[in-house]
Amino acid sequence: MSKPSDLVQGTLDMLLLKILALEPMNGFAVSQRLKQVSGDILQVSDGSLYPALHKLEQEGWITAEWKTSEYGRRAKYYSLTRLGRRQLEKEADNWGRLSSAIARVIKLKEA
Amino acid sequence: MRPEHWLFTIPLRLRSLFRWAQADQELDDELRDHLERKAGEYVAQGMTQEEAHRRARLDMDGIEQTKEKCRDARRVNWIQDLIKDLRYGLRMLRQNPGFTAAAVLAIALGVGINVGIFSVLNGLALRLLPVPRAEQVVSVEQIFHGKFLRNAVNGGSLSSYSEYLNYRDNDHVFSGLLAYEPFVHATLGGGEMRELLGATTSCNYFDVLNEHPSQGRGFVASDCAAPGENAVVVISDELWRGTFAGDPSLVGKTIILNRTEYTVVGIAPQGFRGTEPIPSSFWAPITMQTVLEPGSDSLTADNLGWLALLGRVRPGVTMEQVRSDLGVIAGQMDQLHPGRKTSLAIRRATFIDRQMELEHLIPVASVILTAFGLVLLVACANVANLLLARASVRHKEIALRLSIGASRWRLVRQLLTESLLLSLIGGALGSVLAFWSFTGITRLVISHSPIPVAFNVVPDFRVLTYALALTLITGIAFGLIPALQSSRLDLNTALKEDGAHSGSGKRSGRFLRNALVGTQVAVCMVLLLAAGLLLRGLYQAQRVDPGFEIKGVATTVLNLMGQGYDENRAAAFVRELREQIAGLPSVTDVAQAECAPLSHDFRGGLFTAPGRPDKVWAYYDHVSPEYFSLVGIPIVRGRGFLPGETHDAPGVIATEATARRLWPGDDPLGKTLREGLPASQTAKAPLGGREYTVIGVAKDAQVAHLGELNEPYLYFPAGPQDNLRIYILVRYAGGFPPIAKGIREAVQSLDKDMPVDVTRLEDYLEVWRMPSRIVAALSGALGALALILASIGVYGVVSYSVSRCVREIGIRMALGADNREIMNLVLSQSMRPVLIGGLVGVAGCAAVSQVLSSMLFGASAHDPIAFISVPLFLLVVALLASYIPARRAIRVDPMVALRYE
Repeated sequence: MSKPSDLVQGTLDMLLLKILALEPMNGFAVSQRLKQVSGDILQVSDGSLYPALHKLEQEGWITAEWKTSEYGRRAKYYSLTRLGRRQLEKEADNWGRLSSAIARVIKLKEA
Repeated sequence: MRPEHWLFTIPLRLRSLFRWAQADQELDDELRDHLERKAGEYVAQGMTQEEAHRRARLDMDGIEQTKEKCRDARRVNWIQDLIKDLRYGLRMLRQNPGFTAAAVLAIALGVGINVGIFSVLNGLALRLLPVPRAEQVVSVEQIFHGKFLRNAVNGGSLSSYSEYLNYRDNDHVFSGLLAYEPFVHATLGGGEMRELLGATTSCNYFDVLNEHPSQGRGFVASDCAAPGENAVVVISDELWRGTFAGDPSLVGKTIILNRTEYTVVGIAPQGFRGTEPIPSSFWAPITMQTVLEPGSDSLTADNLGWLALLGRVRPGVTMEQVRSDLGVIAGQMDQLHPGRKTSLAIRRATFIDRQMELEHLIPVASVILTAFGLVLLVACANVANLLLARASVRHKEIALRLSIGASRWRLVRQLLTESLLLSLIGGALGSVLAFWSFTGITRLVISHSPIPVAFNVVPDFRVLTYALALTLITGIAFGLIPALQSSRLDLNTALKEDGAHSGSGKRSGRFLRNALVGTQVAVCMVLLLAAGLLLRGLYQAQRVDPGFEIKGVATTVLNLMGQGYDENRAAAFVRELREQIAGLPSVTDVAQAECAPLSHDFRGGLFTAPGRPDKVWAYYDHVSPEYFSLVGIPIVRGRGFLPGETHDAPGVIATEATARRLWPGDDPLGKTLREGLPASQTAKAPLGGREYTVIGVAKDAQVAHLGELNEPYLYFPAGPQDNLRIYILVRYAGGFPPIAKGIREAVQSLDKDMPVDVTRLEDYLEVWRMPSRIVAALSGALGALALILASIGVYGVVSYSVSRCVREIGIRMALGADNREIMNLVLSQSMRPVLIGGLVGVAGCAAVSQVLSSMLFGASAHDPIAFISVPLFLLVVALLASYIPARRAIRVDPMVALRYE
């Protein structure tokens, strides 16, 4: 299993943005959802998750709101912004180009 | 980032900046929430509440690091950190007022004196002229290379009148080029005679400088139409308000300068004092030069350099273009002088911008700035020691911060910020004190000096930049090493340590402190030794025997040529004057000379002897026969001058030193020598390549330069030509005032308009001693400052060491050491760096003291008395500074010490 911490920081950002594009949620839920939709392959460690989320917030790609959660406590809920959506599109495009290029190279017939 | 993105993020970044504490709390809440949810998951998987929580916490290991990383991610930029550091630093400083005060004072002292002296140098040499749009004004000088023959007045790089006209008419880069002759002396005639200093200038002077007279007008082109006509003058505002009492109708009236009437056509604007560091009182058209200085026609002298050139550059023209344009003109002039090449020195015009002046000023300024900088270094060492001492008190706090994940670099940055804060406060305080005091000090010095130099020490942007740069460098200088030192901790021992145990600090800490003390002592030693040597030199000067009888002689200088006398009239005047003076009651002898001994009036030239390929420079004098006996210089071989021998006689009297140079080992009597240059074009040096025969040898005497024992010197007989500017020497008995009065009256009885000033020959000695006196005072003051700072430093370090060693001392006392042994221990440890530093300082000073040798009047640059007494003095002071805190060591009660925490 490869963890996202093996990937470049930029890829993690893109994944988080995509998850939040689905619906607003808090940090814990983001990591759970990522794990779930990737079939347990992509798991974010807590030590990487929150710094990444804070950085995304600092860049203005996601925004946060404090709401009372179902547990009765205050919890921080992140959602994607308009700028974030644009960033996500851009990164997804780059990723597509990158991955197809890598695929082309790997599929080359060996002599 | 795209613009709208950037704008959008500003509120976010500002929020991070200002609601930092709140953000921190939120981070905490968020992570706790995560923890709870995770625990909830584990409970859902079947664990107990307790186990679930424990598991969750283990999963989230390194929660503090995570928090720190989040904070890092939120960091806007270094501004946020800087503000945090500043607030923390300010709080630290407030909590330790004693430390802060000591450090700030030391820095203020060091930075203050440096900023002050820089503002003085700035006013002299770096500030542009105080005229409108001064950045456009440049000075133009000619430097000659190769084979050339040149006569010069007031400096070798000045231009002749024809050269000036050439530049003026053929250039394409200036909107105006002016020329002026600096240092023109004139006697203001009328009821009360006064000596004035002014300039003769081209008639576009005021236009090019853009300074228009406040009353009347400046010069117009017609004022410079014909030499000797148009006797007009513009006087300075100070002269108008002072001597003429602000007479509102002065414009249009005439004043008398050097016995000629000049019409006052204008009064210069208030505050305008000309373009030289010594203020001018009047400006006359350049064509009046021959009238103002009779006997010399500089306007027609093609190869005489006497004019300073200033040009206002056209807007949009670069310095390169100016250089190349004028270079073409200079090259054309070179073609008329084969073998000569002229290069041009073109600089922005300041008060001191001529090549010759700068060559004198730059070395002096460097030495001065270095000396002042050394005192700052001593102050920095003090503050560094203070910081080191405090850092070891804070080491627990630092260790804690390092252990929770702060990077070492972050910590160093914060400690450095504290240091910079200290230095900024100290530097600002010092600069303010400097501005406030140096204006007063310079005014005081100028009012007491014989030369009325005027310059502006008010701070401008250059001074402020220097102050800021110095402050920052100082902060880094004393802050960096303690910061690096403090952050290099062994975390284990630091955290485990109980307060008192660190002994007197880690080995490297102690070494650093001692090194700083050693440096302070070394610098202090250099400064004090320099002062000591100079004082020995001055003492020597008091006792020096200049080789002749300097006491009991009165002298007066008469510039008859400048007063319009010709040779015959002058000869008659001098003859009658000498008779009258000889008739005065207390007079024993009267003589005349072209230059009085040690009068700072020099005549010199190059001489050759047949059979020698080289030319020897010798100073000379034209003297009457009585000169030698009056002044007390014995003729050791041959004879003196006879009454009939005058200027045209072929005999010359050489001094022993001249004989040694020109005819080593031989008997100089009967030998010939020849002046090395052809006749020059002014009336002032007409020796003209003639041949002379040595008829006598005089004993060496220090008549030209005090302290110079081996200078070649020649005496020629005085003739009618020498009456035009002459010193009358009078040996008298009894008091000075009556003879002075007598001489004055004698002169004025012959010519009531003749300015006359009678002085004692021995008063000239004071002028020679003055530079030494000033430098000794300066060096002594700096040395004293350094001494105070170094003493405080030594005291501080010793008392700190003692306080750290209290336990160790207690143990020793409990084991039976007595007071003397404890004292010896403390003192030997603290004096070791002092001794090493002292030795380094002595060696350093010995190496460079040659630099001072010209001001020592013959005392040796390694004078043993200075080199023994000063170090001893310093040693005693350092011993005292160590002894006082060391006494606390022996007062330690062993029982208290052993329990000391």
